Amino acid sequence: MLRFLTRRTIGAAVILLIIAAVTFFLFFAVPADPARLACGKICPPETLAQARHNLGLDQPIFVQFVEWLAGVFVGRDYDGLGHCPAPCLGYSFVNHAPVFDTIVDRMPVTISLTLGSAIIFLLFGVSTGVVAALNQGKALDKIASVSSLIGASVQIYFVGTLAMYFLVFQWDVIERPRYVPFTDNPLQWAYGLLLPWIVLAIIFTANYTRMTRSTMVEQLGEDYVRTARAKGMPARTVITRFALRGTLTPIVTIFGIDVGTLIGGAIITETTFSLQGIGRLSIQAVVNSDLPMLMATVLLAAAAIVVFNVIVDALYAVIDPRVRLS
Amino acid sequence: MSRRKRSALAVLAIGSLALATACAKGNAGAPATSSAPTASKTDLVQLFTPAKVSIGTADDSKGPAIPPEGVVKGGTVNMIDRDDYAHLDPGRIYDNVAANFSLLITRQLTGYKRVAKGEYKVVGDLATDTGQSSEGGKTWKFTLKDGVKWQDGSPITSGDVKWSIERLFAPFITEGPPYIQQWLTQEDYKKAYGGPYGGKELDGIETPDDKTVVFHFKSPHADANYALAMTGYGIVPKAKDTKEKYDKEPFSSGPYIIAKHTVDKSMDLERNPNWDAASDPIRGAYPDKWHLEFGYQSLPVTDRFIADTGDDKKTFSFYTHVNAERVQQVLENPSLQSRVLRQPSPYANYYYFNLDRVKDIKIRQAIAYAWPTKQIQQITGGPNVSVISTTILNPSVSGWQDYDLFGVKQNPSGNVEKAKELLASSSNPKPTIVYGYNNTPTEQRVTVAIKNQLAKIGVNVVAKPMDTKTYYDAIGKVDNGLDMYWAGWGADWPTAATVFPVIFGPIADGGYNQSHLKDPAIKAEIDRIMNLSDANEANKAWGELDKKIMETVTPGVPALNDVGLQLHGSLVGGAETDPISWVVSPNTIFVKQ
Repeated sequence: MLRFLTRRTIGAAVILLIIAAVTFFLFFAVPADPARLACGKICPPETLAQARHNLGLDQPIFVQFVEWLAGVFVGRDYDGLGHCPAPCLGYSFVNHAPVFDTIVDRMPVTISLTLGSAIIFLLFGVSTGVVAALNQGKALDKIASVSSLIGASVQIYFVGTLAMYFLVFQWDVIERPRYVPFTDNPLQWAYGLLLPWIVLAIIFTANYTRMTRSTMVEQLGEDYVRTARAKGMPARTVITRFALRGTLTPIVTIFGIDVGTLIGGAIITETTFSLQGIGRLSIQAVVNSDLPMLMATVLLAAAAIVVFNVIVDALYAVIDPRVRLS
Repeated sequence: MSRRKRSALAVLAIGSLALATACAKGNAGAPATSSAPTASKTDLVQLFTPAKVSIGTADDSKGPAIPPEGVVKGGTVNMIDRDDYAHLDPGRIYDNVAANFSLLITRQLTGYKRVAKGEYKVVGDLATDTGQSSEGGKTWKFTLKDGVKWQDGSPITSGDVKWSIERLFAPFITEGPPYIQQWLTQEDYKKAYGGPYGGKELDGIETPDDKTVVFHFKSPHADANYALAMTGYGIVPKAKDTKEKYDKEPFSSGPYIIAKHTVDKSMDLERNPNWDAASDPIRGAYPDKWHLEFGYQSLPVTDRFIADTGDDKKTFSFYTHVNAERVQQVLENPSLQSRVLRQPSPYANYYYFNLDRVKDIKIRQAIAYAWPTKQIQQITGGPNVSVISTTILNPSVSGWQDYDLFGVKQNPSGNVEKAKELLASSSNPKPTIVYGYNNTPTEQRVTVAIKNQLAKIGVNVVAKPMDTKTYYDAIGKVDNGLDMYWAGWGADWPTAATVFPVIFGPIADGGYNQSHLKDPAIKAEIDRIMNLSDANEANKAWGELDKKIMETVTPGVPALNDVGLQLHGSLVGGAETDPISWVVSPNTIFVKQ
């Protein structure tokens, strides 16, 4: 296990380094000049040069990248703004704050959004998939199939906007979504995020229902399940201990990817529900040509995917003893 | 509805959401079209009458501000918008939104006083009047009012004013307006002086005593009092200046103090006990507290104002306009009309010709005659969200003179016959025009309309889509390879001194002379007017020059002028879109009880 984790960690670091380098150099491939944004509407040449210097854009691109990278490990000094301690992801000259601090500030929103919706779509998706598989060809199976088809067909900006319009503004049945820290008031935290959780779950549940159903149907036809039944094992035990366990491997795979993606920033969800998480931060970074913030959000998204993939790989061995971590 | 009942209903309602999504077709509605209320229902001409701005007297400069009708003091007002303010250090503020907010915490030497609906005066803010000029407008003297104080109770002095201007030369300040700095030194002012932090003072500003400040400009500037009304020239105390960090911790001279600020999320303001309403003719400062929240897109903001429930009744937005999907609904709902704000933009937009490439004025004027103004207006939302413009200057600019050289108001769909006639006598009756456009869905449709219309007069339009993010960089290049392109410009104060000298100024990559106009006679006239010491005479001359430029050069076709449409909560009083900044003014806002 230790060897596996060490190898994967080194691999993840290399991937993140490559992503960081590609993002950094691609940013400068765009012909827009970030210094122009930091200069007034009327911008004399010397003032533009000063803005470029203040942003560090007058250095060669490679030097800028090395300085940024060094800042991550040993921190960095900014003229007039003081020392940015490691891990220094840079200083945003758009919202005028250390990037790391902003990420830390926004992270709880995104984690809360991910956590709540993941619990709902995992539990609901897997259980409806199991029910559909056990009732193959019957009404429950058809209802589950049609519902998941609808769920998979719609987009968050459509369902989310409709949900806000009808449930919040027209019918007034639920309060406008907002983020209240869990530590301040757990009930308000859950109530404030209930609508985004459910809307996200509507979109994501479909995958789990369909995946669980198809794999479960496959597992129920396996020899070991048939043997267990033939030996007189109770149906519940056969389903939960044998068939469901065999079903979990692909479920865990997509769950890892989904959670990783959401942690990296549920851009549309956060925008639709006016939540100030990592997703909205990444959009702002793109719009404002805010390179340090853009680097941080891209790396965070990549790191989330990589980390959850490692976790998923490790979980395979727990779920299925046939898998060895090698 | 109680919270418990809400929660129960929420479960039921959410359960049926999937069904609702399947049944609803285009629930959000279509973009506003011509079926919105027309002039027959609303007198748009009267509604969109330009604001008048004049110079006030010393009496006008005395506080308190003129209160709006039914004003109530006290309470907490909420404000929601998409973005937090990029800067709080006044020296780094140029944009209208941050400048508008800054009125709550920062004062300048001069400012704009609302006298009545649509009527404003430039008055002394910290100064006793709008300044006394001498030497033909090269020297300006201001005297500070008695009793004006910082948030800690210390007096605001002329030294603070001088320091505030000097620090604009420092390397870390690059974002603000450049006018006063240029007038005191030279065009590229950062080369002339490095700021006061090294101990060196700037020649050109005198402070003979604690209350008097004298500016010595290199050339006459009749509207220095307008320039000094910009937030960029708001004051910063020498004793509390923390350089770069001041952007996070501004020291208030205005009616409020920032009590709490979470960047990009929220801000809370409380009263500044050392601000005296009697010294301030501009700011009403009626609410006791302000709660500002950021991160809201146009659609949910619009829906919140339409629903008007709970705390949203005491909420408004500085700049969020009604979402395009809700424009028709808002305009047609009688119950919303008392909460609707409509105001034409003080900015101007043009479809510029590149005079280096489209050299024949007959071709340019033929295109101007044929221009599909009405078609473009329909595509962009109809007459409720834009007004036809026929001049270079925006009507809100002092000295603006109305004229319609190409009969656009008579023939908003374009005068094809006249255009054909002109084109036939031109150097090329079948010209090809390379038209660069911002590649957005709306502009794609506008481009089709332009292409179809100009095809009727024999002009072949080659449409060139351009990336939105780099659009201005691309058209700003001198050798941009284009014949026509859209660009906008906003006057920094309501005179033409920040319009003509800029949009017909130096031709350079990244410059603002998009048409590349270099007519010596026009350049000479611009220089002449800039040197006039009499503001009224200058304004009149600018108005005349506007028509002359269109007659003799026709550097572009004036584009539509946008009309802002905003909503606010029902318990918000005194909400008015400021015609100069085009955002809701904080000066008249109050909370109804």
